[in-house]
Amino acid sequence: MRDPDEDLVSRVGAGDSRAAAELVRRHLPRMVGLARRMLGDASEAEDVAQEVFLRVWRHAAAWKPGQAKFETWMHRVAMNLCLDRLRRNVRNGGEVTPEMPDTRASATRALDDRQRRDRVRDALQALPERQRAALVLCYYQDRTNIEAADIIGVSVDALESLLSRARRSLKTALSAERADLLSGLETG
Amino acid sequence: MNEARFMELLGAYGADLARWPEDERTHAEVFLDGASHRVKDVWESERSFDHLLALEKDVPPSISLETAILGSSNIRRHVRRPLDLFGRFNLPRWATGGALAASLALGLAVGYAAEPDPSLEQDYATLLTVSGGGAGSMFLSAMNDAER
Repeated sequence: MRDPDEDLVSRVGAGDSRAAAELVRRHLPRMVGLARRMLGDASEAEDVAQEVFLRVWRHAAAWKPGQAKFETWMHRVAMNLCLDRLRRNVRNGGEVTPEMPDTRASATRALDDRQRRDRVRDALQALPERQRAALVLCYYQDRTNIEAADIIGVSVDALESLLSRARRSLKTALSAERADLLSGLETG
Repeated sequence: MNEARFMELLGAYGADLARWPEDERTHAEVFLDGASHRVKDVWESERSFDHLLALEKDVPPSISLETAILGSSNIRRHVRRPLDLFGRFNLPRWATGGALAASLALGLAVGYAAEPDPSLEQDYATLLTVSGGGAGSMFLSAMNDAER
């Protein structure tokens, strides 16, 4: 299957500014989304997104069609930048893994979508980084299992193990929200 | 596809079979169609959990981020000044006026701390608008709302 970005990248490499704008329009939301979910910080996510596109501008002219999907390459660059930042934060003594959200207080009160969304975000941030990476790539970035495994640098079996563990951890962290959502569905 | 493998994949990828490995998807669909109520209940439970995870949505990037990224491209500008678009691309006059308004407003919004070339910012705003970019479209809408 032909890479849908092949022509655009070629035009960017030739200096076409409209192609550059189209490439940004097409991929920037996904890059920011990936970085935000991995890093938990909107400002750091924007820094990563900018760095990804700096590398796009640098490499577009040398991009060889057929070697890999361009979007997969962008995801690999973005993920590596995120993992580097997370490890740098650990070395510098920064907090990388927030505590698992406390589910006790919310067990009996109804939650609106915004609160549930915030708790999903918190629970994602509490996952170990490789489980978070697997989940973000497969659930939110719509990467296939083969692409996601390649981006993280693991086998497909290992990816599935990461995904299973991530989902189990999230179900535990979000048990109150699950119950609330299920009861909301039952009462219509 | 047997129940053990179905449950394994369900636990990893969730209920949306579109996420499942391509070579197992069709077998999974057939299995699910003929599955027991117990298996289908588990599948429904995973589906509701997927809905919870889906509450975490992408947020549109800011105009300033898009502009900064395009500014870092150092690509020679091929876009003429906004008024030239009317003749060059046969745009209706209202689009040209909107593009000019958006460009000028973006120039004010971005600021000139380092005295960048303002025409460069206007060109990028125009690029974002002409290309149909989300930030450019949102900006035009905001400008139109402000004029009402």
